[in-house]
Amino acid sequence: MEIRSGDDAVFRQVYKQVFPLVMRVAYHVTFNADIAEDICQDAFIRFYDKDMTFPSLDDAKFWLIRVVKNLAINHVKRKANEVAKMEKIGRTPTDNPFGDGARELLLNESKVAVRRAVAQLPEIYRTAIVLREYADLDYQQIAKVLKISESNVKVRVHRARKELEVILGREDVNVP
Amino acid sequence: MCLDDQILNTYIDGELAQPWKSRVENHLSTCSGCRMRLNSLKNISDDIKNSVLSDEEIRPRQERVLAMLEKNCLGKKKKFSLFRRQLRFSVGQLAGAAAAFVIVFAGAIAFTSGRADQIIPAPETETDIDIANIMPVRAVDSPQRGLDTFTLDEILKNLDARGYDVDVKLKSIKPVEFTETEVLTN
Repeated sequence: MEIRSGDDAVFRQVYKQVFPLVMRVAYHVTFNADIAEDICQDAFIRFYDKDMTFPSLDDAKFWLIRVVKNLAINHVKRKANEVAKMEKIGRTPTDNPFGDGARELLLNESKVAVRRAVAQLPEIYRTAIVLREYADLDYQQIAKVLKISESNVKVRVHRARKELEVILGREDVNVP
Repeated sequence: MCLDDQILNTYIDGELAQPWKSRVENHLSTCSGCRMRLNSLKNISDDIKNSVLSDEEIRPRQERVLAMLEKNCLGKKKKFSLFRRQLRFSVGQLAGAAAAFVIVFAGAIAFTSGRADQIIPAPETETDIDIANIMPVRAVDSPQRGLDTFTLDEILKNLDARGYDVDVKLKSIKPVEFTETEVLTN
């Protein structure tokens, strides 16, 4: 099914299906829900304004993922110091980046610890593991989004997990 | 020989191609060390997956962004806004556009009627008449005829009709069908 991004009905359909996915990508790269929301908003405005035609929903999805990933990485690079600060703030429930208190109930310490650990990974490993684990893309799709080879994806995903194992500590990881 | 972590990670992701996949599974069935390592790596992968931003965390943001888009972007694009803009501008500019049109049109009429000699170049400036100018032109029937698509005869007749006194001299070519006195008209 051809996707025209400037068509209101089509846009709403794509938005409904793809927003959660790109929100996850943006969030797990930036580790800041407000920033992630802004990034997604920006990406969808671009998506709509450009009025592009995609051969399929997947192609539209990959375009959005790529834009969101790039915006998120740009943010991380630009605001490296602020991200470090957010990581600190994220430890205190009252100041966590998820805004209102109701959602704190949904989180537990180990989840936050893993999220924080993912956000500490070097950029190239972080994007690969985020797309693999949170966006549920396979190696081929990740390669397409990141414009790298599949074998490169394989290496990055592997190294990301190795680093996370170190950051989290094995015993944390092995006891769910 | 035991399996390394990269192979196990690839296996966990379901990305191991078939001949290797079977061999890995055969090995895992006999090697408890590799099975333990596989479980450790699976646990890491599961822990990452389980920390995913939940639907509950996403939903209010998804609704908020959509509300913003509905308000500021959707339905306000191209056709609609252009239509509105055209309406707004057409009223204001109508008088000015009409006035400009009248001025230009009137100016064109005045120019063509009063200074026809500038539209049709004077014969002196037209040429150096040479053989190229008096050869028949192929594009005579074209809807927009430029000056160079008219034959010399046509030009002369036209000028004659307008009351011009034209003197044409041909160099190097001796007129065959008419004499210079016939060409001269009054």
